[in-house]
Amino acid sequence: MITADERAAIRESFARLLTDQCSEEDVRRTMETDAGYDPALWQAMANMGILGLIVAPEHGGIGAGPVEIEMVMEEAGARLLAGPLLSSAVLAAGLISASDDADAKARLLPAIASGERKATVAFTGDKGCWTAEGVAVEARGEGDAVRLHGAASFVTAAHVADILLVVASTSGGLAVFEVDAKTSGVGIERLESWDRTQRLARIGFDGVPARPLEGAGEAAIEHALDLARVALAGEQAGAARRIFDITVEYLKTRVQFGRPIGGFQAIKHMAADLLIEVESATSAARAAAQAIEDDAPDRQVLVNLAAFACADAFSEVAATAIQMHGGIAFTWEHPAHLYLRRARADAQLFGSSDLYRERYVAALENAA
Amino acid sequence: MSNDQIDVRSEVRAWLAEHWDADARRPRSGGSTSDFIAKVFEAGWAAPSWPEQWWGRGLGKEDASAVISEFRKQRAPGAGQDRTNITANTVMNFGSDALKRKIVPEFLSGRVHQCLLYSEPGAGSDLAAIRTRAERDGSDYVINGQKIWTSGAMSADYGLLIARTDWDVPKHDGISFFLIEMRQPGIEVRPINQITGDSHFNEVFLDNARVPAENMVGAEGQGWKVLQTALAVERLVMGEGAGERRQGSAKSNVVSLIDIARDAGKLGDPVARQEIAQAMAYRQLNALNMMRAKAEMAAGSSSPIMSLGKLAMSRILHEDARVMTRLLGATSMLDGADHLRAADVNYRTANAYMTSIGGGTDQIQRNIIGERVLGLPRETEVDRNLPFRESRAVTG
Repeated sequence: MITADERAAIRESFARLLTDQCSEEDVRRTMETDAGYDPALWQAMANMGILGLIVAPEHGGIGAGPVEIEMVMEEAGARLLAGPLLSSAVLAAGLISASDDADAKARLLPAIASGERKATVAFTGDKGCWTAEGVAVEARGEGDAVRLHGAASFVTAAHVADILLVVASTSGGLAVFEVDAKTSGVGIERLESWDRTQRLARIGFDGVPARPLEGAGEAAIEHALDLARVALAGEQAGAARRIFDITVEYLKTRVQFGRPIGGFQAIKHMAADLLIEVESATSAARAAAQAIEDDAPDRQVLVNLAAFACADAFSEVAATAIQMHGGIAFTWEHPAHLYLRRARADAQLFGSSDLYRERYVAALENAA
Repeated sequence: MSNDQIDVRSEVRAWLAEHWDADARRPRSGGSTSDFIAKVFEAGWAAPSWPEQWWGRGLGKEDASAVISEFRKQRAPGAGQDRTNITANTVMNFGSDALKRKIVPEFLSGRVHQCLLYSEPGAGSDLAAIRTRAERDGSDYVINGQKIWTSGAMSADYGLLIARTDWDVPKHDGISFFLIEMRQPGIEVRPINQITGDSHFNEVFLDNARVPAENMVGAEGQGWKVLQTALAVERLVMGEGAGERRQGSAKSNVVSLIDIARDAGKLGDPVARQEIAQAMAYRQLNALNMMRAKAEMAAGSSSPIMSLGKLAMSRILHEDARVMTRLLGATSMLDGADHLRAADVNYRTANAYMTSIGGGTDQIQRNIIGERVLGLPRETEVDRNLPFRESRAVTG
């Protein structure tokens, strides 16, 4: 159990680390590298416990939960942190932790928490819809072994992953399989992505031998996805707040017609409307994290709400921020477009806002 | 929790147990609610944080909150008016001792009621442009002018009035604040017919109405400053009331949007479901914001969120009405007792403007958020430093 003081200390030290090692300049440099992440920063995050935040203490982690993950991701989002934090420390660690596979936990979680190995989760196929219908890898029993056939796409940080957790269809529904990324028959093809701070890949599986993750059926997959959803919501809330703050600062200093442009109602009113979006995103992400933590009755309502509300808020704030800045933000050198790129990628990852609005109504119908 | 607080809590509990029947929500004595409020006042619960010589109990902030929370639990009225009573707070802050003694007990004990005489036909968003005049005549001021958007004017005993006492200084500096008796020959109240068909608000005509000089709150020319205190109390009350209404109505509204869609045969329509989701999300996000703001304030930090509630609520109400209209389709053309859903949605459509215009339009709210929360430069006011006599508010 993490106390409020410990939580605040984690937030503060992580924010300080990012201020030191994840400036805009650092992000720009990192996004042009092949790896797409900064190994020194990665190690520093491991040393701080961030990579093992949700890993149980007996496996070398901190044993925190969704509330702390959401909080950390707000900071990561604010700084546009590039790299496999979400893939490895949240999604993969969450999926392994949600399974009943004692051997996998003992073998993989300590290495994920220490940053020594990186994992990612392959879920959807080329449809890109993160629902059961989207899964395009099939697991077939062939002799003693299970082999994977098919393809997964939109896989985050696959090019640097050591471990692939592959969601595949079986005769008994969805299941998860562990594959070493170096196994022959695994074809990782990097996809060029508009958001250069997040690497995406398509992975072909040509009869690849795989180890089933025990007790990782649809419930465990959903649990890990929920964790990833609130983590992403936190990232969106934190990033939206940051680009909003950058914009408000600019409104106070940019002078036209003899006065700061923030004095013009046409601009001021846009800022007021965006503040509602920023605060709402923060509230939604935190409430969803708390609901998962408490396994509250309205958990599904709140997770689905956060999933679309935070995506839409970040998209709206990032897009409007460029308009409010004017010409300066149309230049490559200005950071606003980096936030727009991240916003547009985040808005699709794990499912669209339309999907989550639909699920939100369905959850409300169930609750009524 | 300190021992003192436990003592105060148990004292309030014991007092309430003796005087208030929580189940029936009425006084145990069998008397009226106003009799009960008079007892609350006598016991010192009406304004527990005020000193004993001013009808309070001299309690600290936490103890005073404990009193309010015990009254709330029992749903008993009358306590905590040191936060919520507009007139009593304004007079306590700015009135003379004589005025306090004359007025405050009347209000705290619930014997008299107030109305607010602020807006005028020519001074809506620009409230400081009021042209109602107050002129000294012996020991009285004589008031001439017109006020508008006054609720409760028919039943009020006193009006909180801002009027201009000096036309030769800039608009904010020439205003004075009065407590005027409403039942007098110089005051006429006429109900306003609203677009909803209701008449909650009134026009108030002041034709040589009189108010004794000792009923001026604060000094002459200090009225704008006094008004800010009165408005702050009003906003607090409205904000808390809205919060309670929000929590109460969130669920019922959820059910009704889904029910309307089902009855209209549109619950399976994916486009309709997207719209329902968005409308309900606005409401739920605002409720989550308010919960977070309260938690942050309880933890001692200030929250910008409290300034957003009214603007957020106006979007919620307009959006609810828009989505309901869409779900009803052609039925929304109908009205009356035979078409209750249509009547309801049409009422909501019109009534939503009460929130997006009343108490500061959405546009004024955006100015306030931009300037006071985000620290953006103030909107320029061309007549801010002019003697009011030379403002276009006067010269036309």
